[in-house]
Amino acid sequence: MKKFIGNSLALAGLVIITTVLLAAIFAPIISPYDPNFIDIESILIAPTYSHIMGTDGLGRDVFSRMLYGAQISLLVGFVAVGISTGIGIILGSVAGFYRGWVDSFIMRIVDIMLSIPSFFLILAVIAFLTPSIWNIMIVIGLTSWMGVTRLVRAEFLSLKGREFVMASEAMGSSDIKIIVLHLLPNSMTPIIVSSVLGIASAVLVESGLSFLGLGVQAPTASWGNILTDGKEYIQFAWWLSLFPGLAILLTVLGYNLLGEGLRDILDPKNK
Amino acid sequence: MISYLIKRVLWMFPMLIGISLISFFIMHLAPGDVTSTEASFNPKSSEESRQKLREIYNLDKPVIVQYGLWIQRISKLDFGNSFSSHQRPVLWETKDKNGNITKGLIQEALPITLLINLLGITVIFSISIILGTLSAVKQNSWVDKSITLFVFIGFAIPGFWLALLLMYWTGVSNQWLPISGLHSLNYQNLTLFGQFTDLIKHLILPVFVSSLSGLAGISLYVRNGMLEILNQDFIVTARSKGLNEKKIVFVHALKNAILPLITIIGLSIPGLIGGSVISESIFAIPGMGKLFYDSVLMRDFPVIMGILTIGSVLTLIGNLIADLGYAWADPRIRKGITK
Amino acid sequence: MYYKNIKPYLLIFLLCSLIFACGKDNSVNTNYQNYYDKESGGRLINAMTGEPSNLIAMIAGDSASSAIANNIFNSLLKYDESLNYAPEIAESWSISSNQKTITFKIRKGLFWADGEKLTSNDVMFTWKLVTDPKTRTPYASDYQLVKKASAPDPFTFVVTYEESYAPALDTWTALHILPEHLLKNEDINSTYFSRKPVGSNYYKLDGWKSGQQVSLTSNPLSINGKANINNLISRIIPDTSSQFLELTADNIDLMNINPIQFQRVFPSRKDLRNKIGLYKELGNGYTYLGFNLKKEPFNDKRVRKALNFAIDKNEIIKGVLLGLGEPLSSPYKPGTRWNNTKLKPYPYDSIKALALLNEAGYKKNKDGFLEKNGKILQFEILTNQNKQREMTAVIIQRRLKEIGVDVSIRVIEWASFINQFIKTGDFDVVVLGWSLSLDPDQYNIWHSSQQEPGQFNFLGYKNKRVDSLLEKGRVELDISKREKIYHKFSDILLDDSPIVYLYAGYGLSAINKRVRGIMKPSPPAGIYHNSYDWFIPKILRRNEISDI
Repeated sequence: MKKFIGNSLALAGLVIITTVLLAAIFAPIISPYDPNFIDIESILIAPTYSHIMGTDGLGRDVFSRMLYGAQISLLVGFVAVGISTGIGIILGSVAGFYRGWVDSFIMRIVDIMLSIPSFFLILAVIAFLTPSIWNIMIVIGLTSWMGVTRLVRAEFLSLKGREFVMASEAMGSSDIKIIVLHLLPNSMTPIIVSSVLGIASAVLVESGLSFLGLGVQAPTASWGNILTDGKEYIQFAWWLSLFPGLAILLTVLGYNLLGEGLRDILDPKNK
Repeated sequence: MISYLIKRVLWMFPMLIGISLISFFIMHLAPGDVTSTEASFNPKSSEESRQKLREIYNLDKPVIVQYGLWIQRISKLDFGNSFSSHQRPVLWETKDKNGNITKGLIQEALPITLLINLLGITVIFSISIILGTLSAVKQNSWVDKSITLFVFIGFAIPGFWLALLLMYWTGVSNQWLPISGLHSLNYQNLTLFGQFTDLIKHLILPVFVSSLSGLAGISLYVRNGMLEILNQDFIVTARSKGLNEKKIVFVHALKNAILPLITIIGLSIPGLIGGSVISESIFAIPGMGKLFYDSVLMRDFPVIMGILTIGSVLTLIGNLIADLGYAWADPRIRKGITK
Repeated sequence: MYYKNIKPYLLIFLLCSLIFACGKDNSVNTNYQNYYDKESGGRLINAMTGEPSNLIAMIAGDSASSAIANNIFNSLLKYDESLNYAPEIAESWSISSNQKTITFKIRKGLFWADGEKLTSNDVMFTWKLVTDPKTRTPYASDYQLVKKASAPDPFTFVVTYEESYAPALDTWTALHILPEHLLKNEDINSTYFSRKPVGSNYYKLDGWKSGQQVSLTSNPLSINGKANINNLISRIIPDTSSQFLELTADNIDLMNINPIQFQRVFPSRKDLRNKIGLYKELGNGYTYLGFNLKKEPFNDKRVRKALNFAIDKNEIIKGVLLGLGEPLSSPYKPGTRWNNTKLKPYPYDSIKALALLNEAGYKKNKDGFLEKNGKILQFEILTNQNKQREMTAVIIQRRLKEIGVDVSIRVIEWASFINQFIKTGDFDVVVLGWSLSLDPDQYNIWHSSQQEPGQFNFLGYKNKRVDSLLEKGRVELDISKREKIYHKFSDILLDDSPIVYLYAGYGLSAINKRVRGIMKPSPPAGIYHNSYDWFIPKILRRNEISDI
């Protein structure tokens, strides 16, 4: 714990993420306006007292949309990472534990998936199905499990030779028990770090997809689509670019700092 | 070494089949085909002509059959013609009976993407080594912290936002760099050197924007790698022997830290190719990313399959080179001592 | 002693000259306000988001291709600035007394850009090509109605229709005539001609850098005389925000802009207004909300009319288009004779809307939603990825919610949209647009026989009186009789309300002030109809040698 506080960057990351999380959770309470409240008399107003982050092309309050957008960004991050980590843990454990042809097969699939540029794949699949928040989360999840698989497998490989595992096996514990109770808990470090970093990456992918028109669709607000809406008037309606851009930047930054910080702290190899 | 090489090359074939299978079936997830795009909702066009088109392109046959037909052609390196770009060949140029050469789509787009990616990799490699080493050597100092912060910010910025801001700053407020495109309008009239500088000026922003995220990951990797190495026994030994600190860091430690870097960079190639979609669109660069995006929207299957296949082949080759480079650089492997 | 004092001044002088040499020449700005006489030469740079695929317009389906091809090729006729038929390749035409035959007289002394003579053989060849089943064109159907075509002499071309076909002349304004001598031995579907065309119009293809730009240069043998501007360059810049940056940095002269740029960005930037002029013109199309007439409750006219009253079109025009559009009461361009001015658009009247819905059996339930037989009035609006349509759908959603209708919105990419939803009939309501030809015939869209998958009456409209009006309109050549037919058609359509007319938006262009000769306000045919007559005064031209 002391190490944590001492690692100032990780701390900064945690602060940022907590702020975003609170904003997302308390959005319905803090939000001054309904994020979908259209007011055509107030189109593209610069930040003022009544609209602290200005309004967008339909007169909707940007600050409110940013708060609800936080919900979307975090949702996309958590679900996508949940899926990819879930798949990664299962496949990685199976590969690392059973070795042999199962391992080879799984690793070959990992190699194949790693060879296809994942953004291309995400782009194509979302264009073909229709862009919706669920499709985006699932597709990002289904294309980012490879890293976790490798990490889990590597941990299992190194842990398998340890005494406590051999002891369990000697006692006749079932495979699943060994995997779930002994091996996985000791492999948590890379899983946690990679999950945190994965959330950051998912938020960025969503904003990239919004730019291409394949992100979260209107009228739902996401940071990516607020940013994209404002790109044509970046000099004129600077608030439409600055706030979501900064929000994405800080959130991704926060998760990365936290992830790297956790890696530093939890990794027993570090001094 | 040779047997390693042969084994790796042989592995590429089943990999390619796997990649092409996944790609092909995903493409056919797509509702709609090339006949359902722009012209088809023009009240002046007709359904019979679209049905005719479908028959010509074999789109009415079952997916397995289409895949079989495609594999047959690929084995002869015939990637077919694009559906939407008026029959332009997907891969390589064709000559018609009058000697007119029509260039292939990938033939034109690939060099550009390769150039940007190679420049990007060079930039990433060189800068991240510097940043990572600095960070490691001055661990936990403000130098380390600010480099880490800078590199993280670089990773966290949404690419197209940064691109637009930079384009505005360097191209509109100050007329330092061109805003978009690959060449200036008077490109033909420039000298060879002029053409070279013109191209570089156009590529500065795209390369910078697309390599920024790679920079973060790799700088960190170098930093962590260097930290680990600098604590190892052989370094302690070298220090106790009184060797010059600079030599220790830059020669002994770095050599060891760079090795895994080669593999990592190989692994980041698909990321670079994929990330190019956004920067090519913003900077109006006609590369593989833009070609892929357009062909997805137009359901131009031959082009989509061509790009996924070629992209994956490039990645596999890139990884192979990276692994070979690693194998050669690491004396343990080179000299045949098994790990 | 002297030069000790001079040195600092020299330094300052050097610094100043350096700064001024590097800075932009601001004296050009004052020249933008002056008047200049017409002179030829110069280069116009515009931006396109997509790349042309094929410069043979009948094969290519995309707008980028036809935009470029329109500069290279001519048709038999064209529209003049007031949207009347005018000669182009044909100098005159006459219609036979039985109204089934049109005889075109071809102008004498016309040449292709490569020097060959342009005669009726080329017209005949082109017609044969477009109606040939082997030609992969989506536009054959109009020309297939010609039962017999002949070219009895090099300057006469005669077509005979099975039945008199009123839209005929309009179709002959849209067929680019192709050179027989270059294409007779070629396969039109794969010929290199599509990338190296030879035409007869003001411009010929100078260069085409794939993915980057298409450049046209003036054709000395043009059938209409030389255009003023020597060089047209179309740069392919897919992202519109990049295009805007290029426009403000004076790297391109012309681009399409959106309502916000027109009404808010430019007015706030005096520096931009000094260099760049804004133009608006009413296009020939409209945006609508279409009901799936085969689905409940949209088969009930009262429901459709109610929803029409519940939508505030003025609000949409104000909010989405910032006022740059017009409301409609018929499917025709305001200002043309086909537009029935006696018809008024449905006003926004939520009370009337509720009354009609009550009549149709809907009552407000305790949650505030309208309900009938236990089901609330609920549907999904589908639209494609078009910013304005998305915003329109959002505004509609809000208004309908106010009267108790639960509306959700789904935005779908085009190809999926057409295949998964339109063709299969699997949709409730769509927000889409029609881009129409100048002929009033709307048979393809509204006739009950056009409901097969892939045809355009995908809403499922069926009205016997409309059917017969549309059939009559197609064969009636007398303009005033036709006008009455289509006015009646619009009247019935408005009453039936199968669609809600949302707006006819203006096409908005930003064109650098160095380009002169643009008509303002725009004539009925639009500002581009006389682009050949635009010119760039020498003093305002870009320096050809400098970097851009």
